[in-house]
Amino acid sequence: MDLNLAHWHLLLNHFPIIGTLVGLGLFLSSFIGENQDLRRASFIIFAGIGFLSIGTFLTGFGAAAIVMDKPGISNAAILRHEGSAMLSIWFIEITGALAAVGLWQYYRLKRPAHWTVTAVLVASILTMGLAARTGNTGGDIAHHELRIGADDKMPPADAPIVEGPIGSVLAHFEPKPESFSLFIVGNKWLWAVLMAVHFIGLAVIVGTVGILDLRMLGFLKQLPVGPLHRFMPWAMGALAANILTGLLAFIGQPENYIYSGALWIKILALMLLGVNAALFYLTPAFHSVEPLKAGEDAPMSAKLIAASSLFLWFTMITFGRYIQPLSNTVRLPGALGPN
Amino acid sequence: MAVIVVPAFFNTIEQSSLSTWIRESPSIFAFYFILLFHTIGLSLVVGTNALVDLRVLGVASSIPIKPMKQLFAIGWTGLIINVITGIFLLIGYPTKALTNPVFYFKLTFIALAVVFMRKMNLLFLDANLDDLSLIKRGKRFAVLSLTFWVCAVSAGRLLSETYLYLNYHQYLLKMGLG
Repeated sequence: MDLNLAHWHLLLNHFPIIGTLVGLGLFLSSFIGENQDLRRASFIIFAGIGFLSIGTFLTGFGAAAIVMDKPGISNAAILRHEGSAMLSIWFIEITGALAAVGLWQYYRLKRPAHWTVTAVLVASILTMGLAARTGNTGGDIAHHELRIGADDKMPPADAPIVEGPIGSVLAHFEPKPESFSLFIVGNKWLWAVLMAVHFIGLAVIVGTVGILDLRMLGFLKQLPVGPLHRFMPWAMGALAANILTGLLAFIGQPENYIYSGALWIKILALMLLGVNAALFYLTPAFHSVEPLKAGEDAPMSAKLIAASSLFLWFTMITFGRYIQPLSNTVRLPGALGPN
Repeated sequence: MAVIVVPAFFNTIEQSSLSTWIRESPSIFAFYFILLFHTIGLSLVVGTNALVDLRVLGVASSIPIKPMKQLFAIGWTGLIINVITGIFLLIGYPTKALTNPVFYFKLTFIALAVVFMRKMNLLFLDANLDDLSLIKRGKRFAVLSLTFWVCAVSAGRLLSETYLYLNYHQYLLKMGLG
């Protein structure tokens, strides 16, 4: 099987749109009779989409490298799609982060605060619109016949893009991919700050999630589990900081990342950590460990989840470190290759 | 610009087989492996310190204080890993590290952070202190420890952006002595 990054992008690119649509549908329905089950379900979907969309966004750069300058493909449409994705990804992540805050409030306060519900409402509606725009501009790359003003003739690769009324407004807010990248790598202090924050975030995640995992595995048994779990907002904050700094670093020099097998293993591990978190919180595992007091042992299911979390974080750190030496290990058919 | 005189001794280190191996070996167990363990050590020492410091500052206040002393063992292990891997990294690039002022800032921040980590550890080992008085006395240490660890990590990340000479050979070339 020869599955390249363009295929992975095609596989992942429906989740942000369909997922946000389903999430938004559930969320809006939850206002009828204040149905908290529906609302909680919509938050879970938004948070999950925040995770998956990282994979969608990053594989898009691999797909672009593969299809750029190919017959039947409009380079201008690729760049427009890329700019659109560079705008919508932040709204997808913000919606996911707010939904995660809401889920924490469900746990701690029984229901989310009013500000959280309002913020998720605004963010998810904006996300829906921007994700739809990103999907549309993506469709235009290989389906030129669907473009506004299109006729049967194949347009030249550098044909200018004709925007509709909504697109012409949105286009103003979408970054030009190249200048966004230059802005990030052109400023070495910004780069240093990104990397410093990424490492501090890493340390906080290891200190909070890693220690909780060790406790569930039976080390540090004098610490009760529920209270230790109170550090989770710090872990979520650190994860948010690292998703932000990681995405910005990637946008700064995508050609240093997309050909590195280590980056893709790291991202796969991140996606699996999303699955791991879902297994922990959505199965009885969490409720089985939360009441554990000093000296009490966690059940085997929770131990397996803790062990796989530790393994996946170790994988994230290891392959994060090896992105650079392995920066020329993925061959993308027809692409230019790393610098 | 002030002229930095780089001791020829650094060249001797760089020409040694260990230093050359660390820098140039295509083995995945050379430079990046050492760097990986330096990162893991960092996450252990900074991560556990952050946890203890935040608890002392009032986060997750339902965690009983005293049992947290076990975390220091993990922290000290991380520190030992980083002293060892740090020495190997230094053997790989002595000129690069030791001619960069930021490197000395980093070492100073680590030294200060370790001082407060030790002070905090001693508070946790003091059987005469109850939780409240430990928290009262530990707050200042916690703030300083967090600050110095953040500074140490940031200074470490700055090294690759701020070095003057990658190696002794490059120093000679830049001085017009090569």
